[in-house]
Amino acid sequence: MVEIKTGEVGVVTTTLDQALEWARSNSLWPLTFGLACCAIEMMAIQASDMDISRFGSEIFRNSPRQSDLMIVSGTVTKKMAPRVRRIYDEMPYPKYVIAQGVCVIQGGPYNQGYSVVLGVDRVVPVDVYIPGCPPTPEALTNGIILLQKKIRGEADR
Amino acid sequence: MVDIIAEEKTKDGRKVIRVAKENLIELMKELKSQGYNLSLTTAVDYVDHIEVVYHVYNMQKNEYIIVKTETKDNHVPSLTSLWNAANWDEREEYDLVGVIFDGHPNLKRLFLPEGWVGHPLRKNYDLSKAQYINMDEDGNDYVTFDPEGGW
Repeated sequence: MVEIKTGEVGVVTTTLDQALEWARSNSLWPLTFGLACCAIEMMAIQASDMDISRFGSEIFRNSPRQSDLMIVSGTVTKKMAPRVRRIYDEMPYPKYVIAQGVCVIQGGPYNQGYSVVLGVDRVVPVDVYIPGCPPTPEALTNGIILLQKKIRGEADR
Repeated sequence: MVDIIAEEKTKDGRKVIRVAKENLIELMKELKSQGYNLSLTTAVDYVDHIEVVYHVYNMQKNEYIIVKTETKDNHVPSLTSLWNAANWDEREEYDLVGVIFDGHPNLKRLFLPEGWVGHPLRKNYDLSKAQYINMDEDGNDYVTFDPEGGW
């Protein structure tokens, strides 16, 4: 059901590929997409205090067709999961997903419940996991920098 | 005057009225004529019976009254004839606790899709069988027990 991402863009590595990777990693446009309380921390990273534009990630776009990064911020319920998948399918390639918070990673405090998806990686392929309840804006900024390194093929595995 | 079973006070001074479910509508009509409006409704599962709780609020007096009623067969009269606000509250209770409101115009599930087995906030709800939700092409939710068929 879920594709596996290797982190390598393209087949042949040339100077042009490196230029494309550099350009893609420095113009990540996240999607305005908040599901629960983690979204408050996601709003903080684009405000002036810890502006993500300083690190080469641009403004939040309101349409999935204009964005290439989905920050899944907050508990994904079973009813919301088909909608998350549909929004992910509407995004153009290349697209990346960040799982923010412990609810998104494995269910968190709702792990024993009836209504929560135990990990958004069952729904969409995830590039970077950021644990925390909720993660601080600094942790989320670090996650975005890690994703940029992953796009450029520099990330530590 | 409506027959009530007991009247008590909570720790913060709110009046609690216990009433049989046959006299519920009559009591609520009287409270409505005194200027009280429905604020919230909940239901509690006590295994051998279900308690349905109504909070009514008077804006002029700034005063809450809590009305509690019990049912053993899951049936409670609906308050939609008095307050339209009761419509979705009672649908939510039917969805999650399984209280059946007699006289409700549209008693369907509010949050979970049709076809969900059981009422999740009941003590006897079977958590061992996970249920999954998926969406068809028209945007309608459906429930499946197959982990590959939904999320």
